[in-house]
Amino acid sequence: MESRKPRKINSKWWLIAANLLGLLPLGVLVWAFWVNQLGFNPVETALQRTGQIAVIFLLLSLAFTPLRRLFKWPILLKFRKIFGLYASLYAFTHFATFAIWDYGLNLPLIWMEIQEKPFILLGFAALIILLVLAATSFRYWQKKLGKGWRSLHRLVYLAAVLVLVHYFLAVKGDIFSLQGDYGAPLVAGIILILLFLLRFPFIYRPLQRLINRKGA
Amino acid sequence: MVHKKSHSIPVDPSEITPKHIYQTRRQFLKQMGVVGLSALLASCAPNVGVPIDGPGSALDEDLADNLTSYEAITGYCNFYEFTTNKEQVDENAQDFVTSPWSVMVDGMVETPRAFTMEEILSTYTQEERIYRMRCVEGWSMVIPWVGFPLHQLLEEVVPTAGAKYVLFEAALVPDQMEGANSGLFPFPYLEGLRLDEAMHDLTILATGLYDEPMPPQNGAPIRLVVPWKYGFKSIKSIVRIALVPDQPPTLWNTIAPQEYGFYANVNPNVDHPRWSQATERRIGETGRRETLFMNGYAEEVMPLYEGMDLTENF
Repeated sequence: MESRKPRKINSKWWLIAANLLGLLPLGVLVWAFWVNQLGFNPVETALQRTGQIAVIFLLLSLAFTPLRRLFKWPILLKFRKIFGLYASLYAFTHFATFAIWDYGLNLPLIWMEIQEKPFILLGFAALIILLVLAATSFRYWQKKLGKGWRSLHRLVYLAAVLVLVHYFLAVKGDIFSLQGDYGAPLVAGIILILLFLLRFPFIYRPLQRLINRKGA
Repeated sequence: MVHKKSHSIPVDPSEITPKHIYQTRRQFLKQMGVVGLSALLASCAPNVGVPIDGPGSALDEDLADNLTSYEAITGYCNFYEFTTNKEQVDENAQDFVTSPWSVMVDGMVETPRAFTMEEILSTYTQEERIYRMRCVEGWSMVIPWVGFPLHQLLEEVVPTAGAKYVLFEAALVPDQMEGANSGLFPFPYLEGLRLDEAMHDLTILATGLYDEPMPPQNGAPIRLVVPWKYGFKSIKSIVRIALVPDQPPTLWNTIAPQEYGFYANVNPNVDHPRWSQATERRIGETGRRETLFMNGYAEEVMPLYEGMDLTENF
């Protein structure tokens, strides 16, 4: 980054790369299933992995708005949408693994679990939000919903919070004393908080200035 | 280690399995929707068709025919002192030094003393016990343990009148255990039983599995196995057993008392506050199976809990 000239980015290749990145974990997962490499408890592995990948893509997607404030590359907005779509895809795969593979589509049992267990309920609520956002992420809806689109898509923050609470509730231990299996959800939580903070002008402005000065 | 049987020879399940366990597979067949096959299968199982009364005996399977593989038992387990990754414990535990080893037995007993492993293995006849293992996380196995009833050891030291509970302490060797310094868990791992639970014949100290010495990841050289309780009660790599007057602190109960009770009996009717305990995933199978009350050992262990509210005392 030696100059602030508008950068020529060959966006086509970037978009292809982003999509490959999005599909890669699914490919790895399907391949691992195929060659019997999902370990001794494949359902659990698939559940955990799809969940973790969904969290990673959701955090990635949330990272692009603050990043765009700092670096004004237009392509970043496209990444935001692509990674958001993949977050929805993996959240759905996560749910499908739970409902189909784990519970064999035993609907009464699934319904009982969803109703009774806040942790599943929260994940389910987040999934619904992500699917609605995925469905309305295309230009048609963006135009049709006008200003409402932005407000609607702000729900992604709610989804992220729900997802993380869901993650915290899924592991063994005690949340309040932070004793237990909390390593991974803690890291995800800290990243989410940092990304939130980056949206406040008093935090991103100084950073913006710093980057612009360096670039000049 | 006393090796009782070689696995190259098929073993009659009635020789090695507590009687109740292999008595009927009807329930299982019903669940599988293949009742019509039962007559055919009956010829392979010695006691099929013997009906048993009572809810606790609705046993569904011939455990000896449904053993979880050695690879799964030794490759997939929880031993947080090494790592919280169930499939990594195996590797991280390989350098764990388990010999020489001794177990201190003290507290409210007449003759407190340390038992060396050699002494334990030569004094107590090691027998095979095929038990279900149900983890509180929702998965289960069928494991052919080798061991001996804990009461034999306790009788040797003679608990005194005031002894009401038994405290177990696991080894904590931070330089051999990668996860031991994690601030997230208050090690050493402690567990406890009421004295009558500890004296129950189903409660064993296991020193091996599949006729092999206990692998380090499974709790070498000696561990507790309490088959009607969630797996976390079955503490591994024991260094101390103490008879105490009051209910002892136990690791998971200390971390989250509202979620992990002292009793931790397998009970499909009492859910973990955050997830259901009604069903389980049997390692090596697809789909879920229903979790059995007291993990299928109700008939034997329910007398221990007469008059107790099991929802309150979970």
